[in-house]
Amino acid sequence: MGKLRDKLIDWKKRLSDRHMYSVIVVLIAVVAIWGIYQYKRAADLRQELDNQYNRAFYEMVGYVRNVELLLMKSLISSTPEMAAETLQEAWHQANLAQTNLGQLPITQEVLANTSKFLSQVGDFSLSLDKQNINGRQMNEEQYKTLEKLHGYSVSLLDGLNNLQGAISEGRIKWNELANKGTEFFEKKNQSLAGQMLSDIDNSFQEFPTLIYDGPFSDHMTSLKPKNLTGNEIDVEQAKQKIKEFFGNDKVASVEHVGDITTDTLPAYNMKVTFKDRPEEEFATADISKKGGHVIWMLYNRETGQETIDVNKAKQIGLQFLKEHGYSSMKDTYYMKEDSVATINYAYQQDGVIIYPDLVKVKIALDTGEIVGFESKGYIMNHTERQLVPPTLTEEQARARVNGNVDVKSVGLAVIPTKFGTELFCYEIKGKLNDKDFLVYINAATGKEEQVLIIIDTENGILTM
Amino acid sequence: MTETKKYKLTIWISVCSLVLCVVTPIIFETLALAQNPTASDEQLIARAINGEARGEPYEGQVAVGAVILNRVASPDFPNTVAGVIYQPGAFTAVSDGQINVPIDPNSTVLKAARDALNGWDPTGGCLYYWNPATATSKWIWSKKIVKTIGKHHFAK
Repeated sequence: MGKLRDKLIDWKKRLSDRHMYSVIVVLIAVVAIWGIYQYKRAADLRQELDNQYNRAFYEMVGYVRNVELLLMKSLISSTPEMAAETLQEAWHQANLAQTNLGQLPITQEVLANTSKFLSQVGDFSLSLDKQNINGRQMNEEQYKTLEKLHGYSVSLLDGLNNLQGAISEGRIKWNELANKGTEFFEKKNQSLAGQMLSDIDNSFQEFPTLIYDGPFSDHMTSLKPKNLTGNEIDVEQAKQKIKEFFGNDKVASVEHVGDITTDTLPAYNMKVTFKDRPEEEFATADISKKGGHVIWMLYNRETGQETIDVNKAKQIGLQFLKEHGYSSMKDTYYMKEDSVATINYAYQQDGVIIYPDLVKVKIALDTGEIVGFESKGYIMNHTERQLVPPTLTEEQARARVNGNVDVKSVGLAVIPTKFGTELFCYEIKGKLNDKDFLVYINAATGKEEQVLIIIDTENGILTM
Repeated sequence: MTETKKYKLTIWISVCSLVLCVVTPIIFETLALAQNPTASDEQLIARAINGEARGEPYEGQVAVGAVILNRVASPDFPNTVAGVIYQPGAFTAVSDGQINVPIDPNSTVLKAARDALNGWDPTGGCLYYWNPATATSKWIWSKKIVKTIGKHHFAK
């Protein structure tokens, strides 16, 4: 104890003797200043963030208010034209509301229903808008649905107004919500803001299932595959099918890694290693439990010098498809990147290209090996279609296209819509101002269903 | 060395190391920002995969990309790739800045992003994934696991 005291006194003397005090003081001051600076900086950033969250929230409330007003106007409007205008605006505002919703620091599950509501409102408005643009009034059922939606938007707005009040009064800070600590998520239900938001979201529990043709309508989410033919197979049979897929002589081993348990396409997940290839270069694939269809396959390996061009690759892919039971396919689009060509093939029935029946094949341009395969489109959509002869003649279809377009070729095709339905159309390839276009004219009604711009890049052909 | 000099030296060394500790993180912060150019969808998805699933098998990387795209298509999530990726709290790699880690030229994440954009979906339509070893949210565990790839469980 004595020695320590002596040492301390000695130190003290040394410090004061050599002006060390000043050095220490300066040191502490430097650290303190740095500390204050950091703290202030953090506070500034937090404030900036808080401002962003507030902006997003207030904007969202504004847009929801507009949605409510516009839905009301649509209910009142007497002409389809007027309704079309207000519905289109409603769709636009719902989109904006949803964009801002996505910027708020709220956990996903709290606002999933609200987000879905906004999407469906937007989408329903758009589908009604399209209808009204074509001069068709809303029918009784659609009117009732619109009324219900309007009702929900009113209650959403009420809830948001309450929340807005709480935020303005300072009872809720976005900081609380933005806090990423695990304790917050556990206490979620105790936080006022979290509670208010979940209440808003819960009010959508009895949200009616919207039956309409939109991409978010509930019937879209429970699609059943049309071409999942065959019987249930077990793991061993699946392994055998995988071997045949690649070629019995190329496969070293097949391992059943796991299962994918979805309602639509339950499958076995397989890992494949190849003879003469290192173990790290393996392929993975999902093969359906029913029928043993390969849903997708990916074989990620290094590619060497290119020896095959894209045209040859297209033929290789076609040959592969023929050998594996995909007959009558035609290549449609392709992409080339890092010496691998990804080619889209569509089913062709009597000269009509059926785009929804899609299979994608990746071909390595060094050896011509198949390094990728994707057939979900084909499995979900492929059937023999009942194609009635087109009502319009080719000449009539050509006449429907914009006069300035230089028509290059005309064919027939079945194209998918956003809503899970299909349209039988004339596919007209044309050129305008040095840009290539694809115009799809409905073969029965002559309506212009879709216009695609073809972008020819060195990496392949893209359509937009 | 005399005693005085020794003490002075120690003090100066400690001051210098302290200053270094303060200054270096600031320098690295600005460097990371400088290496982060604006990105197209493909780049953005590749960076997100890089942040979330760098060490995962190829299938796992494509799966993360597919989850992002499934979210864009879903009505429950924002409608753009950037909206989905930057949704507050959605991806830990975004919250902690891992998304800004530059992509290794040997990495497969860009290829994985391309495959996901071209329609490959090893998850069969999943919207959520988590690492069972690190996930703390009780809510995520209530989701039914559709598939497990590498270190991640995937759910709808």
